[in-house]
Amino acid sequence: MATASLALTEATDVLRPGSEDAAVEAFGDGTNVLVVGGGTIVVPEMTFRRVRPARALLLQDAGLAGITRDGSRVTIGATTAIEELVGVPAPLGPCAANIADLEIRAAATVGGNLCAGGGHEAPRGDLQGAFLALGATVRSAGEGGIREEPLEDFLPRRRERLALDVSYEEPAAGAFAGLDRPHTHDYTALAVSAARAADGTVRLAATGAGSHGIRLPSAEAAADDPEAVGEAALQDVTPHDDALASAWYRTKVLPVLVRRALTELEEPA
Amino acid sequence: MKVVGARIPRYDGVAHVTGRTTYVDDVRIPGTLWVKALRSPHHHAGIEKMDTRPAEDMAGVHAVITHADVPLLEYGHLSALGIPADEPLLALDEVRYKGQPIALVAAKDEETAAEAVSKIAIEFEERPALTDVRQAFDTDAPKIHREGNWYTHFEDEMDHRQIRKGDIDWAFEHADTIVQGVYRPAAIEHAPLETQTCQVVPEPSGRLTIYSCTQALYFSMGVVAAHLQVPLNKLKFVGGTTGGGFGGKVDTATETMCALLAQKSGRPVKWRWTREEEFLCSSTRAPWHMEIADAVTADGWILGRKMLTLHDAGAYSRFSPYGLTKHSFHHTGAYTIPNLEFDGYVVYTNRVPTTAMRGFGVTSVSFAAETHMSRIADVLGVDPIEIRLKNANRIGDTSPNGIVYTDPSTVSTIQTIAEAIGNELKAEYRTMTNEPRSGEWLPEHLVAQLGNPEEH
Amino acid sequence: MNLTVNGVTHEVESSLLTPLLDVLREELGITGPKAGCHQGGCGACTVLVDGEPRRSCLLPVAYADGGEITTVEGLGSPEDLSPIQEAFIHHYAAQCGFCTSGMMLAGQGYIARGGTDNAAAIQEALGGHVCRCTGYAKIVEAVAAAARGDSFDLTETAVGKYTKMTTGGAE
Repeated sequence: MATASLALTEATDVLRPGSEDAAVEAFGDGTNVLVVGGGTIVVPEMTFRRVRPARALLLQDAGLAGITRDGSRVTIGATTAIEELVGVPAPLGPCAANIADLEIRAAATVGGNLCAGGGHEAPRGDLQGAFLALGATVRSAGEGGIREEPLEDFLPRRRERLALDVSYEEPAAGAFAGLDRPHTHDYTALAVSAARAADGTVRLAATGAGSHGIRLPSAEAAADDPEAVGEAALQDVTPHDDALASAWYRTKVLPVLVRRALTELEEPA
Repeated sequence: MKVVGARIPRYDGVAHVTGRTTYVDDVRIPGTLWVKALRSPHHHAGIEKMDTRPAEDMAGVHAVITHADVPLLEYGHLSALGIPADEPLLALDEVRYKGQPIALVAAKDEETAAEAVSKIAIEFEERPALTDVRQAFDTDAPKIHREGNWYTHFEDEMDHRQIRKGDIDWAFEHADTIVQGVYRPAAIEHAPLETQTCQVVPEPSGRLTIYSCTQALYFSMGVVAAHLQVPLNKLKFVGGTTGGGFGGKVDTATETMCALLAQKSGRPVKWRWTREEEFLCSSTRAPWHMEIADAVTADGWILGRKMLTLHDAGAYSRFSPYGLTKHSFHHTGAYTIPNLEFDGYVVYTNRVPTTAMRGFGVTSVSFAAETHMSRIADVLGVDPIEIRLKNANRIGDTSPNGIVYTDPSTVSTIQTIAEAIGNELKAEYRTMTNEPRSGEWLPEHLVAQLGNPEEH
Repeated sequence: MNLTVNGVTHEVESSLLTPLLDVLREELGITGPKAGCHQGGCGACTVLVDGEPRRSCLLPVAYADGGEITTVEGLGSPEDLSPIQEAFIHHYAAQCGFCTSGMMLAGQGYIARGGTDNAAAIQEALGGHVCRCTGYAKIVEAVAAAARGDSFDLTETAVGKYTKMTTGGAE
């Protein structure tokens, strides 16, 4: 006895690749295929009929999970659960801990979070800011084959690519300052991640100040000037209204979060 | 007392923890059709034309209902309390709130029902919407209710709930200070964990079995019987199990429509609201606009209160006049104020109709009255606890609507609070009781409002 | 595919993308997990997958392939209640009961991970679960009691055996 919510996806071709190569081949150039990492974002999209895929690519068995370290270089497989990041140093650890709740983090994937498209009520991609601050690169498949590129370049085209893994150099110091969420289910309204690389370079990035995570180069240039850095950050963003917060509120709070992140960055580990 | 303070079984406790409690969505009836609704996308619009045939003709669709299928389209749920009917079960020629149900489809599965709804052809003529109760009284405000923008059927066809007591002009002439405040609590969504759900089974005898999540089984039975124009013995309601209601599951929002679909299709039907429907289309606690002006003396007596309340009923009356009436009786809170001028209006707006929620009508005025007491204390520079004790209800004091208090607990409650927060009261406040006023607790201006508890 | 729920293996006909919640409730008739929001926001749908609490409304049933699913029905029966079920009865942790299944399974998973009676840790573990009735205090107390291994005398609070259910109240 099937009911409608079951009937909805009967027409979808379901692919379950058992390796990275098989996943890359199944993804092809990404047209007409819905990628399912943990399912925490796309399953409700199907339940509420906002997405009706012709083909769905289930990645659970493709062997894309796991965290590996090569010296100071960390590589995180795309289907690694977000929960795996909760204990790592800032900004990534606290950023991950601030996502959803334990049950959702245990199912949601890093790749799914990085590649999330705009929601109909709020942008998604809570981890984008943290990885931007870490200067991460993303290895992905799609049209033109497999390539590795900085996250900044990947993000505008993330919906056309199949993320395979994300890598970064461990920073000398990191920090994360985000708004408390009213409900565990809420996406990030606004958060700032900061990291200082081994060579002293400071990177700043924001999540929730645009349709995806964004670097704050003007704030980075003013990082030594606590009076100016907050306002400088506003030059890099166009805050928006959405279900979580207004543009006005984001404009008021972004400078505060930038200052907090930088203050935390200076604290001894 | 055998029960108060005792540990007694919850009759449903074992069922809850073993997953055996049967909520409406857990009822399994073979052959059940799924229901989806066509809802207004506009806050305020006329319905120019509607054609449901594309939905009716779809494979897998078993019934479509509109206003034309409802034997009694408008039934005032509280008509027994004198509140006239004003709300069509399904929209007729206009819609007055975003989410208002217009037509319903019963189909073999949820997907088919949803697709059928999208096939209903409908044309609207959008109208300006009224969303601020304060603007309802402007001469150029959109007129959204056939009787104007506020309820006009209080006793003697008054257009507001009015309370007059004592001599308000005297109070305002003799005040040392007037303290004003405006209080505007927002709408609150009940958000029960179980969304509105209903299952109806048409029996071969012609009776309907209705599995309902209502908080008020017999009340809802009466509502369905009235809309369907059938005697009560044609309905069998199964209920008493509600996954949270808090006042929001009294509106009987699904049962009648499901009954009509079951009758028309000859099949069992089920309607389960999504969480989005629950947030956007279900009734809420009303937003309120309250203005208070108190005439007070420098030493903290409240001589009189003027109050204006605008209760936001949303698009239709439902229970709002009743809620406002309760509100009016309690507008002095736990305190005795002898001279009163209260005016309260039930105002219509293009919002989801509002309804009861725990403490219907009174939570708003309690919030306002208590906040205002603190405001008065602040303005006068007197202790906020002392001012409350001074004006507290005592035996023999009378409420705004003339009820004589026989054992009010204001004094003992506030004394307990003071102790709990470590606030040491002066002797005269520490020893105060709720005994009838006398001596320094009976100033001249409080004499006239005294009543006789013996006669109560 | 096959799905093993509370120790029983079923053959599943629904499409592989169907949320586990809907397979359980609509195809298999297992109604313990509830549909509170269908978008992961309330926790009423939580089940255990290999002992770990997961939102069944978010899980494509394909991802439960080969896993052991536990629903509230698998925790215990009226004749044989598990400790967490007894704790919820004793501490009056259920009012309307709609969130109870999810809360207990999340609590069960927490205790299985070594969770203690620390209230903050319990709140963190159950942080995705909404209750609109109780105000959470008694739920946290019940999970804490179960974590401690408290034993309960339910003669006052439980209604005898399932087959002899009465309407309660003092005798």
